[in-house]
Amino acid sequence: MHNRIKELRAKQDLSQLELAQHVGVRRETIVFLEKGKYNPSLRLAHDIAKFFQLPIEEVFLFDGEVGEKPGD
Amino acid sequence: MKKTIVTFVISALIVASLALWALKGQIAGNTQEIVMAGIVLVLVGFAVTLGVSRLRGHLRREPGEDELSRMVMTRASSLAYYVSIYMWLFVMYISDKTTLAAHSLVGAGILGMAVIFLFCWLGVKIFGMKNA
Repeated sequence: MHNRIKELRAKQDLSQLELAQHVGVRRETIVFLEKGKYNPSLRLAHDIAKFFQLPIEEVFLFDGEVGEKPGD
Repeated sequence: MKKTIVTFVISALIVASLALWALKGQIAGNTQEIVMAGIVLVLVGFAVTLGVSRLRGHLRREPGEDELSRMVMTRASSLAYYVSIYMWLFVMYISDKTTLAAHSLVGAGILGMAVIFLFCWLGVKIFGMKNA
């Protein structure tokens, strides 16, 4: 699974620590997510998507979906 | 925070016990004892590093534990348990071929379990849990 956390975070000029504090996890968890070393729980994925005000499928993408537009 | 304090207290007690053991002259200074003391110090260093990391997180107002840290502990523990079974089989195998006393073998086995857990924890941290 891939995600756009780094890209979305950069757009909002947000540090990893700030994002971590907003979604209630440790900074290390955001590092792991951005490196693709960890697949989040549905709750965390939901919280992150909600923070960026996007649907989950626009933040987290399965391998076959990379490069596709959500809803295609 | 409570876990961090407990980690530091236990680490200090272990180092104090090692120091007492050495100062009372009960340490003969043979290779086996030096290796065991070295392993204990490495494990204490690992615990202190974890404690410092938790303390820094606490100062940054991060939660002490979250879903990733719990997952890392669970994965490392289950992996360490699995590997430890084979280590104990090996200890049983060498127990007939060595002159070491039973309590030394059991002590070495317990230390071995701690070292296995350390390596499993490091492995999970380095390689992540991509397919979890």
